Amino acid sequence: MAQAQVPVTVLTGYLGAGKTTLLNRILSEQHGKKYAVIVNEFGELGVDNDLVVNADEEVFEMNNGCICCTVRGDLIRIIEGLMKRKEKFDGILVETTGLADPGPVAQTFFTDDDVKARTRLDAIVTVVDAKHFLGQLKQGDEAEEQVAFADVILLNKTDLVSAEDLAKVEGKIKSINPYARLHRTQKSQIELAAILDKGAFDLKRILEFEPDFLEHGHDHDHGDEVASLSFTADKPVDPDKFQKWMGALLQLRGGDILRSKGILAIDGAPRRYVFQGVHMMMDADWGTPWKDGEKRASKLVFIGRNLDAENLKRGFEDCLK
Amino acid sequence: MKLDLGNPAWRTTLPPSRSVASDAPVAACAFSRDGKIAAFALGDGRVRFLSADVKDAPAEAQEPLHKGAVLSLIADPLNDGFISGGDDGRLLRLAADGSATEIADHKGKWIDKLAAHRANGTVAASAGKMALVVDKAGEVREFGPHQSTVTGIDFSKDGSRIACSHYDGITIWSIGQVVLPPRRFAWRGSHVALKWSTDGKFIATGTQENDIHVWRIAQATDMRMAGYPAKVKSLSWSADARWLYTSSQPVFTAWPFAGKGPEGKPPLQFGDEGAGLITVVAAHPTAEFVAGGYDSGELQLGDIKMRRSVVLRMSDGSPVSAVAWSPDGFRLAVGNDNGDMLVVDLRR
Repeated sequence: MAQAQVPVTVLTGYLGAGKTTLLNRILSEQHGKKYAVIVNEFGELGVDNDLVVNADEEVFEMNNGCICCTVRGDLIRIIEGLMKRKEKFDGILVETTGLADPGPVAQTFFTDDDVKARTRLDAIVTVVDAKHFLGQLKQGDEAEEQVAFADVILLNKTDLVSAEDLAKVEGKIKSINPYARLHRTQKSQIELAAILDKGAFDLKRILEFEPDFLEHGHDHDHGDEVASLSFTADKPVDPDKFQKWMGALLQLRGGDILRSKGILAIDGAPRRYVFQGVHMMMDADWGTPWKDGEKRASKLVFIGRNLDAENLKRGFEDCLK
Repeated sequence: MKLDLGNPAWRTTLPPSRSVASDAPVAACAFSRDGKIAAFALGDGRVRFLSADVKDAPAEAQEPLHKGAVLSLIADPLNDGFISGGDDGRLLRLAADGSATEIADHKGKWIDKLAAHRANGTVAASAGKMALVVDKAGEVREFGPHQSTVTGIDFSKDGSRIACSHYDGITIWSIGQVVLPPRRFAWRGSHVALKWSTDGKFIATGTQENDIHVWRIAQATDMRMAGYPAKVKSLSWSADARWLYTSSQPVFTAWPFAGKGPEGKPPLQFGDEGAGLITVVAAHPTAEFVAGGYDSGELQLGDIKMRRSVVLRMSDGSPVSAVAWSPDGFRLAVGNDNGDMLVVDLRR
């Protein structure tokens, strides 16, 4: 029996950023929806809800020798278990610990067939502490990667910083990930519609989600900091060459490439070819048809570490007809 | 009386059965030790009992025993009732009249894997990263923690040890009064199911990466069998330990473990191709038969000696989630994701 896929929202953010406040808000609001919540072992929810499941964030490495192919096996098990329940859910929220790398959570939804059949990754929502974010960047890679992976960012606790500092933090966030929707919030107050059911991983909605996908170009030299790069092309893409290049690129650099997205005008194809990936894992499909007379342009975005802009540009250009 | 798949009646009519519907998925099913009751673990917290006699009218559904879903269910090795585990963290002993007593409560953990050793009267259960062993006096002992959640659990042939699967391998614990250090067998990745062979020599696991792994315990050697199109979540050893049946193929698939073992040999595949892939496979308790439920809802009975199979239930689109044999091997209990519960009488 074909069942609708349950949307899954991943909620990430550094320690103390306001994830739990946001979760409590979602659970206590009168929205008439039924959410299952998977919290990390340190999560302390104020709302009593028997659909709260404790997870230990059990990450395993796939046996294929790639160190970036890490998956949350506990999520697979929990989602399978939740589907054995009689009640059906309108959504599943997964909270990660403050120091968690969002990669394994996202990759779980690319890896497991049962999970893919029953659920769909909707969006990664990252809560950022406006007061402490710049300091947290210096303490390790986590805060930066959480922003890099995000589809939606809540720049929280804006009341605790000056307008000048807020602009600085926002500038930093945009230099890491200019594609995420950014909302300034206080006490994690946000309309649920802004964070739930965003379809950020829906290949059919990549355009809808990012209408100004190409407006930003941030190919500065950032050293080993996370940055984003985007490329465009007016000439059609040779599918075989692109497949080969992208495959080799993700194989080789998948550890550094946190997220990738693209809309391609394939030579001779009537429809857009859309793809998106997390580290080495990628989903691709044919998107909407090109309209008559529409300019067939290809767009490609990478968010990652140590990205070599020149090399990527050349690689992409070699795939063009 | 014996099962004869050569009997032409198997080709023309389906065997007599009794089916009852519920609105919660079936997670597991089992027959009681005396074979009189088939019990079904449901996603609404209920355990539903059906008479093994398909002519009997089904009893009314009882009140939920678990809060949340019942995730695991086996026959009680001590009497004619059952043992159930739930996502409420409770491990229960159910009497044949449906009354329940609590064996353990591990709130926040899921009790989703169970095994029993009939002769010793012991039960083993997973509870997060721990394995629980309940002796016949009802005393509970804990083994672990393992490096990750226990995903499969089984007893050795003599019941003196348990094996648990988890990330990156399996762990064997001696559960006697003398406490010995656990033995670990490593294989990287996530192992999602575990079955100890009926002769005690091998332990098989299904992995996240669509293959199976088998350890030869005495020699501490291991082997990997790849090529499945999906995760192998269901494994079943034949009663004589000559075959390891595996799910996730469109036909019955058995690895040969008689003689030198399966190294370098292909699996034996037999029977008619069913609709979809096998989700649950269950070897007959004494003879050369095997039952397989499909993700299409189809149910087949195979005979490995004759290399043939017959259809016991047609596809209806709801994946089979549980299959169990009665102790005498003449009845099957079957459950699916839709909540349908079925008892099939195989006597012709």
